[in-house]
This record gives sequence, structure tokens and C-alpha cells, in this order.
Amino acid sequence: MTLSPNDDLVFLGRDSIAADVLIRHVRQAHNGAVVTFDGCVRNHSHSRTTLYLEYEAYESMALEKMHEIAASLHTLFAIDSVAIAHRLGRLEIGETSVFIAVSAPHRKAAFEACRHAIDTLKKTVPIWKKEFFEDGGVWADGELPPVPAATPAAKPAS
Amino acid sequence: MQTRVLFFGKLKELAGAAEQSVELRSGATISDLFDRFAHETPALASFRSSVVASRNQEFAPWTTVLEPGDEIAFLPPVSGG
Repeated sequence: MTLSPNDDLVFLGRDSIAADVLIRHVRQAHNGAVVTFDGCVRNHSHSRTTLYLEYEAYESMALEKMHEIAASLHTLFAIDSVAIAHRLGRLEIGETSVFIAVSAPHRKAAFEACRHAIDTLKKTVPIWKKEFFEDGGVWADGELPPVPAATPAAKPAS
Repeated sequence: MQTRVLFFGKLKELAGAAEQSVELRSGATISDLFDRFAHETPALASFRSSVVASRNQEFAPWTTVLEPGDEIAFLPPVSGG
């Protein structure tokens, strides 16, 4: 668990997520709203029964990308504070895999920032989910993160 | 030039290891590096269009020229959340 310069809380680990701690962290006297997103393990995928999930991450890069998301929310939205947590390892049905809390003076910014945070996390943070069914495990379909364009070479290769 | 290479998710299973260290010529690109593994493990080659690379934990284009000591990772589509 690490704190950013904005006092945002970012957590990536195997321990279960304490949603109340994240909410308390972002909730302050000058807030008018706290919006949360609780991503939980669903019991089915494409009409198949899911038994459990396993998450793995490129941990150092994932943590950095989660910090980048938190920092970007302060630039894009009029918010006060952010907490983002993601679980790794084996998760059972119904457990929380990701939890995001955003506080703001007004609800609109908090809703929009929370939505932006989970949408961006799913596209850019190097975390992978393997779904386990009765007949084995399958890596979930994912999204290919955007990659910066190549900078032109100083001179063409000869 | 020694380069540390990491594989994740499905790519880790195909490559048979989470981490490898390879010796590359100076001027080699991330694309050259991937091709080296794809040559040894053809199953990786068919996934190339579904792979992004990172260099020192930042997403990087295939044409990026490697520097000594770089940490390169090959990442399948991400599926967190």
C-alpha cells in the first residue's frame, strides 16, 4: 500500500480489500460526495459456471499505472481524494477484486472520476485474470493497452 | 548486451518461463527480441498482434532500440478489474 503526493491510496496485493478503510481514507469534511465502485467476482462467464478466478500482475508496473490513474483524476475532474485497490491471487465468487473510492465537493465529478478510473484501469493496468471452470482455466479476453507512437529514428537503417 | 525479459499471462505459459535473460547485439529493437523468442517458440509468433511490450515499465513501440540493462516485458491484452 502506498500513498501518492495527493494523499491518494493505491493498493495491490493478496490480502482482501477493506472497503471501509478506503472509504474512510477519501472521506473528509469538505466532501459533498463519495462514489465507490466495487468490482466483484461473478459466478458465470458467457453462460458457463465460474468456480473461481486467479489474478496476476506485472506488480511494479501495475502499481505505477494505478498511481498514474489516480493522479490523472485530479487533473481531469474537480475531486478531492482517490483510493484504488486491486487483489491478486485466487479469488472466490463474490469477493471484491477491485475497489475504487473517489471523494469530491459535488457528486457529478465523483461519479465521472470513478467511472473514468475503472474504465482506464481495465485498459491500461498490466493485470491478468484467469477464469476457472469445471473443465479447466482460461485466460480472460482483455484489452490491448495503447502504446505511444514510435519516435522517428535519427537516420534510416542502412 | 544483456537484456532481462519478462512474460505474463498466456505468454508466460507459451514461453515456458516468467523471466529470461538474453544476449543481444547492440542496436537490436524490441521487435528483434520478440522475433528471437518467436523463432524458438512458434506458438508465440501467432500471438504477436495481441502483444504489447514495455521497456522499463512503460509501454513501448516495437521499434524501440534496446539499451544495456533494459527490463523488457511482453504483455498479452490486460484483463484486470
